[in-house]
Amino acid sequence: MKLIPIAVLGTVAALVLGACSNDGSTTGSGGADAGADAEITLWLAGEDTPVELTDWLTTEFEETTDATLTVERVDWGELLPRLQTSLGNTDETPDVVEIGNTQAPTFASVGAFTDLTDHLDDLGGDAIGPQGFVEAGTVDDAVYAVPYYWGSRYVFYRTDLLEAAGIAVPTTLAEFNAAAAALTTDTQSGFWLPGQDWRNGISWIFANGGDIAVQEDGTWTGTLSSPESIEGLTQLKAIYDGVSKAPKDGEDAEPWTAFNNGDAAMFMAPGWARWSIAEDLVENVGAFALPGVDGGAAPVFAGGSTIAISKASPNQELSLELLELIYSDDYQTMLAENGLGPANSTFNSLMGGGEQDEFTVAALAAAENAKLTPAAASWAAVEQSKIMEEFFAKIAQGGDIATEAAAADAALDKALN
Amino acid sequence: MAVVLVLALGYPLVRQLLMSFQEFGLAQQFGAAEPEWVGTANYQALFADPVVWGVIARSIAFCAVNASLTMIVGTSVAVLMTKLDGPVRLMLQTSLLLAWAMPVIAAMTVWQWLFDTQYGVINWALVQSGFEGFAGHSWLLNPLSFYFVATVIVVWMSVPFVAFSLYAALTQVSEEVLEAAQLDGASGWQRFRHILVPTIMPIIYVVSLLQVIWDLRVFAQIYYLQGAGGLRSETDLLGTYIYNLGIGQSDYGMASAVATFMLLLTLALTIGYVRKLAKEEEP
Repeated sequence: MKLIPIAVLGTVAALVLGACSNDGSTTGSGGADAGADAEITLWLAGEDTPVELTDWLTTEFEETTDATLTVERVDWGELLPRLQTSLGNTDETPDVVEIGNTQAPTFASVGAFTDLTDHLDDLGGDAIGPQGFVEAGTVDDAVYAVPYYWGSRYVFYRTDLLEAAGIAVPTTLAEFNAAAAALTTDTQSGFWLPGQDWRNGISWIFANGGDIAVQEDGTWTGTLSSPESIEGLTQLKAIYDGVSKAPKDGEDAEPWTAFNNGDAAMFMAPGWARWSIAEDLVENVGAFALPGVDGGAAPVFAGGSTIAISKASPNQELSLELLELIYSDDYQTMLAENGLGPANSTFNSLMGGGEQDEFTVAALAAAENAKLTPAAASWAAVEQSKIMEEFFAKIAQGGDIATEAAAADAALDKALN
Repeated sequence: MAVVLVLALGYPLVRQLLMSFQEFGLAQQFGAAEPEWVGTANYQALFADPVVWGVIARSIAFCAVNASLTMIVGTSVAVLMTKLDGPVRLMLQTSLLLAWAMPVIAAMTVWQWLFDTQYGVINWALVQSGFEGFAGHSWLLNPLSFYFVATVIVVWMSVPFVAFSLYAALTQVSEEVLEAAQLDGASGWQRFRHILVPTIMPIIYVVSLLQVIWDLRVFAQIYYLQGAGGLRSETDLLGTYIYNLGIGQSDYGMASAVATFMLLLTLALTIGYVRKLAKEEEP
């Protein structure tokens, strides 16, 4: 058969191609043409920025600079790999990028972003916040990434169900845990918490005084097995075992689906979740900040993102003008009115359509104590290897808290140092 | 042409080989530091790590199970096609073709919905048939059932190629020989075993060789299922492990070392096939 040599050649080629295609080269799309200063690209993560805001940006940008702005949306899940493969390359890099606040230190520390320290006054000076977001983008006193928007997590609840059960809005964490248990029935979760949703689950650790990891003398140590963290995890386990019927393998995406289906009485999510609540539920939905152990607002995990200019971009000046547009009063107003925490804190009061409804009150209360993930340069590796997701899923599945916490601490020590 | 081929295939390979002897991370990629030559340190770390051995063992087992299953199901479907009437065969071929043509991510999305813990059809159907225990069953949390789901998907996606290739080969087997064997009293199984299989053997070899390669480097399905609820540390195969090391943790040096090992492993596992094919060629 004459076909055989071709088949051998073909399979050998497939073998070689197959085995070496895993070295991580992904083709980045987009990016400005080098030299053509009339066009820049902005990468926005996910769908959190409403279209009317990007429309405004492209129009204003063209009017003020005569240049074109292309906005590309990158899925949160793809963002890190795409940034890693394109940011360093002048031909492929986007000019301005939105990046998660917990991911910013990784790129800032290797010099992937332009130093913005000298421009902070033009952007908003002391009003730029939250401060933790600025710190996440800071390396050796130089600021490389500035806040884009923030959204603190707070609790959404069914007012009718609480009323029917005769439960008042909880004012301490213990009261909240009790309320969640009381609202649980055979078919309904008192509080919805998927097993891998560590970004909400971590609130119980924070509230009890625990933390993910602390830095001492330049070394990071995981603190998930500290007595404070264990206390929070124990309360959390009670929720996993007896309150939440959410999938133990579920992640934090779209917790409102179960809520909208009537399967849950309460759930926790960043403020922008309010736009995802079903129409017919809206009048029966209220909000409050997760209460702390001794009352007040519990420290919750601050969600949100920062924005930075790629150092490899040939369009530094235009990129800066785009950043100034984003920090303009008009844009900050629009962010706030759309329920996204504005980067310029003087616009905070506009959140929730200008009225201080209970969602806005809850958001601001939750933001007061909001915490960030450890500002370690290699935190992105922790997110990519899903250390936290696995840890929480194992607790949810019934794993021994002390054993799993010690194992997670060991994994954190390895990944962070 | 040859230059293009050498550049396209050779450059990444050489680069990978060099990088596997370097400390190469994000800092090196962004030019904040120079790559440092570390000799065989990456390989030493690699072979000293029990996690890596776990990944390798799982990859080989996954590859063996999936490649065999695909070949068995694919061959059965190919034989079935030779027995079917025109319109029925056309229907079967069309559905196979659709499964084959479906983009991986689209297919994965559908499969993920099917196996969804809360709203999935599979759990619903099982509960409806009396298996109450499957209400809210998480298929992806337990590594074994994770691999069960992955196997179903991978086999489903690979069977059409095998079925079509072998069906094409089967149609080339001479009718006269088969008829003569039948007259001599050979049963259906004997005809299959002693006439059909030997005749299409070269094609079976090529197709199984491809299956072994594909199933050893399976990536998209595993990566997607991990994102849908699987625990990464317990379900990583070589493909996802390398991706996670390189792109996830920006440890390109280590990732290159594992990738180089994987290339050698692929060669070791397939060299027998290739030699066999080369032998067939000799008169």
